[in-house]
Amino acid sequence: MKKNFKLLLAAALFGSVTITSCSKDNEEDNDEELITTLALSFTPVGGGTPTTFQFRDVDGPGGNPPVVDEIVLSAGTEYTFTVMVLNESVSPAEDITVEINSESTSHRFYHLPSAASSITVDNLNTDTNGVTLGVNGRVTTGAVANGTYRVVLRHYGATPPDKAESDAVDSPKSSSDIDITFLTRVE
Amino acid sequence: MLTTNSALSQTCSLRLGGHVEDEDVKEKLMAAVVTIAETGEQRITDAKGDFLFENLCSGTYTIQITHASCDTLIQKITLTKDAHYDFYLPHARKVLGEVVLQSQKSPTPGLKKELSGEALRNTRGLSLAESLSTLNGVSLLQTGSTISKPVIHGLHGSRILTINNGVRQEGQQWGNEHAPEIDPFIADKLTVIKGVDELMYGSDAIGGVVLVQPRPLRFSPGVQTEWNTGFFTNNRQYVLSGVAEFTPYKRKRWAFRLQGTHKRGANVQTPDYRLNNTAMKETGLSFTAGYKVKNFTSELFYSMFTTALGIFEGAHIGNLTDLQIAIQSDKPDDVYLGENTYAIGRPRQEVTHHLIKWKGRYAHKGHNFQATLAAQFNNRQEYDVVRSNNNTPQMDLFVNTFSQDLIWEQPINKGFKGTAGLSFSQQKNTYSGRYFIPNYFAYTLGGFYLEKWKKHRLEIQGGIRFDHKSVETTRLRFGGTVIDNDFRFNTLAGSLNVLYTVHPRWVIQTSANLSSRAPYVNELLSDGIHHGAATYEKGKLDLVPEKSLHLNAGVTYTSQNRVLQAEVLLFSNYIRDFIYRKPVPDSPVLTIAGAFPQVVYSQTNALLQGVDASFQWNVLPALSWSGKLSLLYASDRTANDWLISMPSNRYTSGITYRVKDSKKWKQTALTVEGEYVARQSRIPDETFAPADYKLPPDAFTLLNLQFSTTCYLGHVPVTMRMSVRNLLNTSYRQYLNSMRYFTDEMGRNIGIHLAVPIHFNTKNQTS
Repeated sequence: MKKNFKLLLAAALFGSVTITSCSKDNEEDNDEELITTLALSFTPVGGGTPTTFQFRDVDGPGGNPPVVDEIVLSAGTEYTFTVMVLNESVSPAEDITVEINSESTSHRFYHLPSAASSITVDNLNTDTNGVTLGVNGRVTTGAVANGTYRVVLRHYGATPPDKAESDAVDSPKSSSDIDITFLTRVE
Repeated sequence: MLTTNSALSQTCSLRLGGHVEDEDVKEKLMAAVVTIAETGEQRITDAKGDFLFENLCSGTYTIQITHASCDTLIQKITLTKDAHYDFYLPHARKVLGEVVLQSQKSPTPGLKKELSGEALRNTRGLSLAESLSTLNGVSLLQTGSTISKPVIHGLHGSRILTINNGVRQEGQQWGNEHAPEIDPFIADKLTVIKGVDELMYGSDAIGGVVLVQPRPLRFSPGVQTEWNTGFFTNNRQYVLSGVAEFTPYKRKRWAFRLQGTHKRGANVQTPDYRLNNTAMKETGLSFTAGYKVKNFTSELFYSMFTTALGIFEGAHIGNLTDLQIAIQSDKPDDVYLGENTYAIGRPRQEVTHHLIKWKGRYAHKGHNFQATLAAQFNNRQEYDVVRSNNNTPQMDLFVNTFSQDLIWEQPINKGFKGTAGLSFSQQKNTYSGRYFIPNYFAYTLGGFYLEKWKKHRLEIQGGIRFDHKSVETTRLRFGGTVIDNDFRFNTLAGSLNVLYTVHPRWVIQTSANLSSRAPYVNELLSDGIHHGAATYEKGKLDLVPEKSLHLNAGVTYTSQNRVLQAEVLLFSNYIRDFIYRKPVPDSPVLTIAGAFPQVVYSQTNALLQGVDASFQWNVLPALSWSGKLSLLYASDRTANDWLISMPSNRYTSGITYRVKDSKKWKQTALTVEGEYVARQSRIPDETFAPADYKLPPDAFTLLNLQFSTTCYLGHVPVTMRMSVRNLLNTSYRQYLNSMRYFTDEMGRNIGIHLAVPIHFNTKNQTS
């Protein structure tokens, strides 16, 4: 009996030793879906230096809070603008705009300046079905004012995406990948 | 010694004595019918399981032994002189009904609820948690209809230990959307316990222990198989399950069992719409090999479980605004509805769990020594809704666990029986993809001692257990930052149970249990967005173990002839440093997808109290009425408020009509059942900050039907079963289903099942 018992014990201990010898820990992967940065570039129509304003959260959700620029534009001016979406947690930074453009039918940017901002947005570009995509467009400023500018990127998860021009920004058909608000100053 | 047959046959005065035992439960079998096929003579075994035939002639006889709770045994014997034989009948898988079973069960100290026999068979095709939820006091925590976890008296997840075939299940039970990784077809019996016996498995069973027990190996020569099939109309779910057991005629010390299950369901239909991406797929496979000699048994067990579970598309939430909009609408948007397919898209989970176990048991002079070695490999992959067209999971978690358990059972001495044990386990967790919990190594070392004493009407059991756990965590952030955190926890548990039979009809049991549970890694180190809840969840490093004092008292009444059986159980569970997710409404986390409300793992003192009551009244021999009531009051003692996400009160009542057995049709019964679930009115006060996105759903009543019958095709009992859940196709939502924010529950679901045992042990069979 003793012998059998010892055998069991030995087997148990053997088991516990062999298995704790281990392999290396995994490093966190690059989260391909992470968006850290949204940049809006405004170029005055008829020439001038483009200006860029960013929402940046390089370490992703949590950790350090995001850094948000104030959008400063000249009064009574017409600009063309482009949106750029980046993942800057990797090096080199990944340009997610490329992905959005290639899947234009399941994405849509909404540009929502507040009424007080004296900013109007139009001429948004469209996807392959002719429905608004909003990666670029035109901004016109009016008189001097302070306000806000909200940018929302909606993602259509269903297949087919069933995206329509009439979809509101809060359409239940889509969900938000990006939803940020800049402070604006037209001077 | 040997005389010739002819000489003896003339005398015809031989005696054949025998003793009959249940092979699995090792109990003497009273009232077993022993028949000599050749002569037709019959004897009934007495209280000691003995029988005696006299005045037999010498020769070869076929002995057939039948018993209500066992499989029939047919064995040939050759009689040349007076003889005594011991017969061991395999415990029945097919034949017995729950009512019969209950009547044979002797009361046990501590809280114990058991699902077996007919009651378990009626749940075939459901998940493990759904099967358990038919027990009074057990409810479900769900994520849609595919993912469910058992909730025992308000507690779930890591507060419940699941013991799969003697091994503590070490899967990934971090989140509410992580279901136990076990094929319910493995189980012959599901038991929920709270009492001394839980100490054998851990000190942390604050909510209780779920035992998933397969049927013991048969060791009866030949091949026995059993086949189960089922089909459910709602989501076109089919299930196929088979088990084959084999013992070679020439190697009767060996027994083998192979078991497999495959289940697949399409998208689920609510009364008004079908939910896209709610399909599921599940495969289970297990193999057992047993070896038995007089004082040594050895068992090798391997099981594999794999599942893919779709999660409703319309519940994928980008941010808080999306969540609020989705919650406001009565019904999900049409783009997420209407597909009737078995295909599983994103979001989904794919989970695989392997268990390899060896158990050896050695008996010596009444002492039993048992060693169990087990290895578990668990992999969970979560596929989120993604922008890109990749096929990889966004989160890939591996947890591997090795455990070694030694148990020493002492012989019964003057009514005392002691059991001591040591357990060791080593666990390694790694992940890739999205951060959820860090890589870690965890080591536990535990020891326990139990003493049970029984005399006349009184039974007292006591036990103590200590565990030491160390956890070394490492998070390697992308880009090279390393975050290390190490933890050490000591936890102590103890239990005292008393059972007193006041009168043969009245049994009182009471127990007091201390448990403590070390915080889990997700509670310590979570840090990220929980998409299903649109919250930012943060762990807390300085959490201390939860301590619980669980008191319960119950009384059982059984009338003469068992016409009426009733049971009432009161419980009170006080948990100091109860770990929960505390909303921090004034510090939302701003992300590029918007602001997320923050919840932080925190501790408070909680009190969970309640009542489970049930009865069964056999109004007429053919008609019985049963009912079960479950009440729970769960409060936060520090905040003096109710706890969130606790099951509401419920009452279920059913009427069963049993048709008298005929020669061909047996165990025919029809049950009509009404299930009432109250609205949860005990929710946290929302005067200062919202605690939930939506008020609890309304109360509902469901009507269910259950019909079963066994038809004998020759010797083969073919059992047919039909079940209807939600007969009236009622639209309802469950408070503890996280999909309640978006969708209704499953509509009417009709299930049809067939179970056929086929045996090939022809060698001993004459008929």
